[in-house]
Amino acid sequence: MLFRPNPSSGVPIYLQLMEQVKHGIETGALRPGEQLPGIRPLAEELVINPNTVAKAYRELEHEGVIELRHGAGAFVSMNAGAKKLTDRVRAAQTTVAATVEKLRARGVSDEEIRRLFEAELAGLRRPAGGHGG
Amino acid sequence: MADALAIETVNLRKRYDDVEALRGLDLQVPRGSICGFLGRNGAGKTTAIKLLLAIARPTGGEARVLGLSATSDAESVEIRRRTGFVSDDKDLYDYMMVDEMVRFTAAFFPRWRADLADRYLRKFDLPRDRRVRALSRGMRTKLALLLAFSRGAELLVLDEPTSGLDPAITEEVLQAIVAHVAREEMTVFFSSHQIAEVDQIADRVVIIDRGQSVVAGSLDELRERFCRIQLVFDGDAPAAAFRSPGVERVRRQGRVLSILSSAGSGGVLDEARALGPVSSDVVPVALKDIFLETVATED
Amino acid sequence: MLWYKAWCETRWRFLAGFVVLTFSACGTVLAYPRVMELLRTAPQIQASGIIGREIREAIEAARDYRGYIWSQAFRQNLIQMWTLFAVMIGSGPVFGQASGGGTLLTLSLPVSRRRLVGIRAACGLAELAVLALAPTLLIPTLSPIVGRSYGVGDALVHAGCLAVAGSTFFCLAFFFSTLTNDVWRPLLAACGIAIAISIAGQVAPGLACYSIFPVMNGEVYFRSGSLPWLGLIASAAASMLLLYGAAANAARQDF
Repeated sequence: MLFRPNPSSGVPIYLQLMEQVKHGIETGALRPGEQLPGIRPLAEELVINPNTVAKAYRELEHEGVIELRHGAGAFVSMNAGAKKLTDRVRAAQTTVAATVEKLRARGVSDEEIRRLFEAELAGLRRPAGGHGG
Repeated sequence: MADALAIETVNLRKRYDDVEALRGLDLQVPRGSICGFLGRNGAGKTTAIKLLLAIARPTGGEARVLGLSATSDAESVEIRRRTGFVSDDKDLYDYMMVDEMVRFTAAFFPRWRADLADRYLRKFDLPRDRRVRALSRGMRTKLALLLAFSRGAELLVLDEPTSGLDPAITEEVLQAIVAHVAREEMTVFFSSHQIAEVDQIADRVVIIDRGQSVVAGSLDELRERFCRIQLVFDGDAPAAAFRSPGVERVRRQGRVLSILSSAGSGGVLDEARALGPVSSDVVPVALKDIFLETVATED
Repeated sequence: MLWYKAWCETRWRFLAGFVVLTFSACGTVLAYPRVMELLRTAPQIQASGIIGREIREAIEAARDYRGYIWSQAFRQNLIQMWTLFAVMIGSGPVFGQASGGGTLLTLSLPVSRRRLVGIRAACGLAELAVLALAPTLLIPTLSPIVGRSYGVGDALVHAGCLAVAGSTFFCLAFFFSTLTNDVWRPLLAACGIAIAISIAGQVAPGLACYSIFPVMNGEVYFRSGSLPWLGLIASAAASMLLLYGAAANAARQDF
C-alpha cells in the first residue's frame, strides 16, 4: 500500500511518508483503528532507514493522526481528530483545486504553480508592487 | 561503557610521499546511525576508512572507533574484532570456496552468528562449493557482505558497497543493509558515489573534499538548513556580497541572482530586501546539489 | 586457520619443489653406476683453473659412494634447487596472495600483524624443512637399488645443515617481501645475492670458508664428522634478525 518515497525530491523522506499515511487515511485506504506496518518491516520493504520510519511515526503520533501502542505497534487514531482532519483536508482539497484551475486558466504552468505554493509555504515575503515578467 | 560515537576522528592527517590525502579530517558518527560518506574520487574516502581499521597509519591526529584508538596495535585488533569491513574491491581469497571462506572467517570471531550466515547464504543464493574466483561481481559483493554481517559486529564499514552493480542487485544490497540494521544493533558507515542511495538509506551524511570534511550532519537537518534563494531583478543583477553566515555560493546570471545558503533563508532574505529584487523564491536543495556545490570543481 | 591460509598460498611452490627435489635425489642415486663407469674410462683431466680444480675435486670425492653423494647431491643439485625454492617460497606479498588479492581482507582480521607475519614465516620454514628432509631421506632409501648403502644419520645431518643454514635465504626473500608488494623483486634480489655469494666463493678461495654454502652442504661434517656449529649458529642468528626486521617492516607498512 505504501509506495517507495523518492529520495531525490528534496522533500525529507519522513515527510513523504507522513503525507502518504495522511493521504491513505483521507482516501479511506487506512481506516481508523487499523494497524500500520511495523517500523522494521516497513523500513525493509521500502528500503529506507528505520530511524526515518520511526521519526515519521513519532510525528504522526504528535499530530494525533496515529497512536503508538507500546508493544503492539502503530494504529490509526480512532478519535474525531482524525475525522476532523479528513474533513478539513477535503475542504482544503476543494480550495486548492479551484485555485489551481484559476491559475491554469491564466496560463501559469504546473511547474510554476508548484513552486509558488512551495515558496509560499517556505515563508518568504514578496516585496510589494510587482510580479516577475 | 559505550561511547555515544561509533567513529570519531580529530584532525586526522595522512600523507603519502608528497600527497596529502587527508588534511585534518574531523568525523563524528553516532552509534546506531547509518552514515553516508560522500566525496569525489581521490577526496580521501578510502584513505580515511583504511585509517579507521589500522590498515594504514595516520601521519597526524587521532581516530577512535567504538571508543578504541585506531593507532594502538592492541586496541586496533579489538576494533577489527567488532567491525565488519568490506573493501572497495570486495577483497576475498580467490582460491577458497564460498563455504571455506565462511568457515575461515568464522574462526576469528567469537561472536560469529552461524544463523545469520546460513540465512544470507540462502537469501543471496550463493553456491557453497564454488570458488571465489568463479563468482560474478554481484556474488562477490554479496559474499563479502555476508562475511561482514555474520561476525556479530557493532559497526559496519563499507567502501562503495554497490559500485559496479546493476540496479537490481544494488537494491538487493541496500535492502540487505537496511534489513540487517533493522534487526541488529548496528552502526553503518558507508562511502558511496551514488547520492540517491545515500538519500535513501542514510540518516547522516559526511561530505569530504580534498581531505577535509565540508558538510556533516543528519540528512533531515541538512535538508532544512540548505536552501537556494533566487532573486530576480529589473535590470542586471547587482554584484552584491552577502555577509550572512552560511552563504556558500552566489551566482549571477543576467537578471537573476542565485544564492546557496547552508543556514536557512532568513538572513539572506533580509539582506536581499535592501537590493530591491522584483521577486524572490526559496527552493529546497537536494543532496546532490548540496554535494555538487560544496565540493571543489575544476574552476 | 591462518596456517591453512599460509599453506594455500604457498602450496604450489612447495609441491613443485617437492617433485623437483625428490626427482633430483632419485636421479642422483640411480645415476651412480653410470657415473662410476664414466670415471673409470676417462683419462686424467688436465684442465686448469677453477673448472679444472672442481672437476678434479669431484673425481676425488666420488671415489667412494658417500663422497659421490656429497659432491653431486649436497654440494650441487640439491643445494642449488633447494635454495631456489627457498627464495621462491619466501617471496611475494606477506599478507595476501601472489597477485596481491586478499591483502585487505587479511589486514582487516582481528589478528596482530606480528602474528600474521610469524605464521606465514613459520609455515614457509616448515615447508622448507620438508623439502630438505624428503629428498635427503630418499637417498638411504634408494641406495640399495644401486648396491650401496648410505647412513640415515648422515642424511639427517645433511638435511639439518641444509635447512638451518639455508633458511637464511628464505628469510632474506621474506624480508625483501616486506619492503615491496611485488613477487618478482624480492625473488630476484635474493637470488642475486645467492649467486653473488656463490661466485665470490669460487673466485676468492680465501673468502670461501665464510660463505654460507659450505655450511649448507655440510662440508665440514663430510670431511671430518663434526658439525659446522659456528656456521649454523651464525646463519640461524642472521635468519632471526631478518625475520625480526621483516616483522618490524610489516608492522609499519601502509596498504
